[in-house]
Amino acid sequence: MARSDRLTEAAAGRGLPDFLGRPGPTAYHRLNPLTKATIATTSAVAAVALGGLIGPAVLLAVAVIAPAIAARVLRDLARTSVLLALPIAISALVVNLFFYPEGQTELFRIGPVVATAEGLRFALEILARIMAISGAVTLFYLTTHSSDLVIDLERRGISSRVAFVANASVQTVPAMVERAGQITDAQRARGLDTEGSVWRRLRGIVPIVGPVILGSIAEVEERTMALEARGFTRPGRRTLLWAPADRLAESLVRWALLVGVVALIVVRVTGILP
Amino acid sequence: MVVRWIAAMLVFAIVAGVGLIGFGNFQTGIDEEVFYDIEGANSFALVFAIAVVVAFVAYAAVEYAQTRSLSSITRQFDTRTIVLMPVAIAINIVLGAAVASALKIPIYLDSIGTILVGVLAGPIPGALTGLLTNLLWTYVVPPPFNSGAAAAFAVVAVVIGVMAGFIGRAGWLRPRPNRPMRSLVLWAIVTVAVIAGMSYLAYLGYLAIIGPIAVEVANDNAAFVVLGYLALALVAGNVLGLLYLLFARRDLTAAFVVVGGLLTGIVAALISAPIAAGVFGGVTGAGTDFLVAAFRQAGLDVANATLGQGLISDPIDKVTTFFVVYLIIIALPLRAKARFPQGERLVERGDGTPTDDDGWRGATA
Amino acid sequence: MTLTLAGVGYRYAGASQAALLDVDLELRAGEVVGLAGASESGKTTLCLVAAGLAPRAIGGLLRGRIAIDGADIDTWPMHRLSQQVGIGFQSPANQLSQVAVTAFEEVAFGPMNLALPRDEVLGRTWGALETLGIVGLAERDPRRLSGGQQQLLAIAGLLAMRPAHLVLDEPTAQLDPQGTRLVTDALARLATDGASILVAEQKADVLAALTSRTVVLAAGRVVLTGATEDVLRDPRLPELGVTPPAAVRMRHAMRGGGVDAGLLDEALTGA
Repeated sequence: MARSDRLTEAAAGRGLPDFLGRPGPTAYHRLNPLTKATIATTSAVAAVALGGLIGPAVLLAVAVIAPAIAARVLRDLARTSVLLALPIAISALVVNLFFYPEGQTELFRIGPVVATAEGLRFALEILARIMAISGAVTLFYLTTHSSDLVIDLERRGISSRVAFVANASVQTVPAMVERAGQITDAQRARGLDTEGSVWRRLRGIVPIVGPVILGSIAEVEERTMALEARGFTRPGRRTLLWAPADRLAESLVRWALLVGVVALIVVRVTGILP
Repeated sequence: MVVRWIAAMLVFAIVAGVGLIGFGNFQTGIDEEVFYDIEGANSFALVFAIAVVVAFVAYAAVEYAQTRSLSSITRQFDTRTIVLMPVAIAINIVLGAAVASALKIPIYLDSIGTILVGVLAGPIPGALTGLLTNLLWTYVVPPPFNSGAAAAFAVVAVVIGVMAGFIGRAGWLRPRPNRPMRSLVLWAIVTVAVIAGMSYLAYLGYLAIIGPIAVEVANDNAAFVVLGYLALALVAGNVLGLLYLLFARRDLTAAFVVVGGLLTGIVAALISAPIAAGVFGGVTGAGTDFLVAAFRQAGLDVANATLGQGLISDPIDKVTTFFVVYLIIIALPLRAKARFPQGERLVERGDGTPTDDDGWRGATA
Repeated sequence: MTLTLAGVGYRYAGASQAALLDVDLELRAGEVVGLAGASESGKTTLCLVAAGLAPRAIGGLLRGRIAIDGADIDTWPMHRLSQQVGIGFQSPANQLSQVAVTAFEEVAFGPMNLALPRDEVLGRTWGALETLGIVGLAERDPRRLSGGQQQLLAIAGLLAMRPAHLVLDEPTAQLDPQGTRLVTDALARLATDGASILVAEQKADVLAALTSRTVVLAAGRVVLTGATEDVLRDPRLPELGVTPPAAVRMRHAMRGGGVDAGLLDEALTGA
């Protein structure tokens, strides 16, 4: 059926359009967004609390890679999370390999800086931890629409205004980048230098950042009026068109994960177990 | 009303106490394999910050239990503030991501939006802006702008927002142009004295922590020296800009910008150092990592190296940020800022609505 | 439903001069009224006052009486007033809520805020989309639509609130000719269906096509009012900063040149 026919039929039926609340492609996608967020956060915290090399590696395999395979996003996950972790990974490697005063076992030398074995081990531990965190967060990002999470939180009781801020921020970031791009083009046409030395580029940023920031703030007045004209000032909850489903089993899993991670932190902080 | 404050302070004391004791009475009591050497002394600021947040939640809970609503808090959230916040969050994220990835300089520039909202709308909107910035930055923002590390520093952003709110409320960012040279010079001296005083205290604290290693700090390592000069250049740039503001525009507020930025920067450094050290081993992929490397080369352990880096980067970053926020506020027309909850504290005295007379009336709904 | 402004004046916050003075205006059901005047003559201010945004959302001081069906609206909060009077602005993009990923959700935004039952929200949203003829756009991303389409979306969002009156501040000002045509056609259809609209416009041709009555403002006061065709033929228009429609200008030019304008009239009204 052609799309316009479908929509006209939907209009006649006065029901929820089918493009809202579409279920995800895999079972993992169809989990409640809060569950997926809990998985991501507890994995990240656990990666920190476990410490060492083996803990985060196992966590990575179990809590990140396995679900990623189930959700069929492994390739995207690998690519995106590596890119995300790359700057920290490079820093961690370089800084800790060469600038680790507690290290004694020398591996090699480059000029005045010494690479130590202890430094390498420390660097690898940090790397494992970073990869676990980055993987967990990327898995969440790839399997969940942010608006779905916000709708779910709103259903559970978060203020409509906080939900508005979260949703609007997600749209404003790319919008601002686009606007910066347009202003950059306009300024370039007026002779702005955007290549060249760092100093030139730094100076070139100001005529772009200024209009972007001031322009966005100037719009606040009109946007405020437009929102108030559509009932935004009404206190209290608002109607939601749909909300993601939740199951008792998932609720139990969320609590179990939370309790587990808190127990892990307590155990590690008080040093009960090695 | 009193009950709420008592509850809040009680909760604060409990959480702070547990936190400080849990970190081992100012000695390392934690599994070193995990949390990389956080000392209690270094993390008291973090403990207090968390205690403040929890105390706030307690305050809100008591108010809700008493009145079934949170009006003292929601009053600070009018439509205009709500509309500004996403813009501020976007400014934080876009600038922060750009600086972290493109320019390897030891500042962050990811709090302009937070401080702007804090100053215009108050401590709670500022805190919420900071919180959402960091959470969205990690979980929601798509590549290439996202940051894996940001969520861990959410509590820092919250405190920055709160401090900016109180600084705005105190009227520190109200323009004070065209003051006589006499008072300008006086305030310049006062500012320099405050900066010198804070630096001296920092130096004392630094000596106390570093102690016996102080001898090795006199290091001629090239990296350290270059970075020192870079940090100096940034400081000089800030000072020059502020001097211009002070003397060319004869605007006294420049002094307040410096002091406000320094205060916020120091607090931010104190809170963020244990997080950076304990969770990430001191490196977060930003330009500040070079400073950490330099301190490490000088012989400091991870915790103190991170703290040292923070005490250099954060004050510079926050003074620059407050400066930028002040410039934005001066550039905004009266209509754009006056209607914000704290807007009146940002305009020169004398800019006001004419008094009602002759049947003219303001909004009653 | 009748919206009445009697002796209304308004001063922006921090301003020494009044932006509106002594304005009397009555908007009756089923009427399309035009608002003309040079820029800075007070058209936008009048729109904001009629919709209640001034002084509620932007501060400032008000004088005079504003009433809906005789009842004073001074104490009505904005979310109540917005269900009686809807207001649209010039900039299509600034009216987007920024929280909607599809045009459908964008239109549903208003009814959702009013906490109406879900079926009511859905019914109103589909209805508004049908009225504006944009059901086909329901699944599209609002940010990717053309200016004209975004304006239609904005008006649909207002209609979903079921206001008795629509106030539109220069809806075609930032649109290209295609967008302008899109919006004016939609407004014409609304007018034929009996909608009550106050539309501020610089383009006299649009006023001629849509409105039955026109009010002209200068320096915040009403200087001319009457049936649209009479107002647009008034010789004082150019000095009031309003460009008369093309046909009127041509007529003046022909008369000025000594040519019989009767031929023009025949051509325009006859075959």
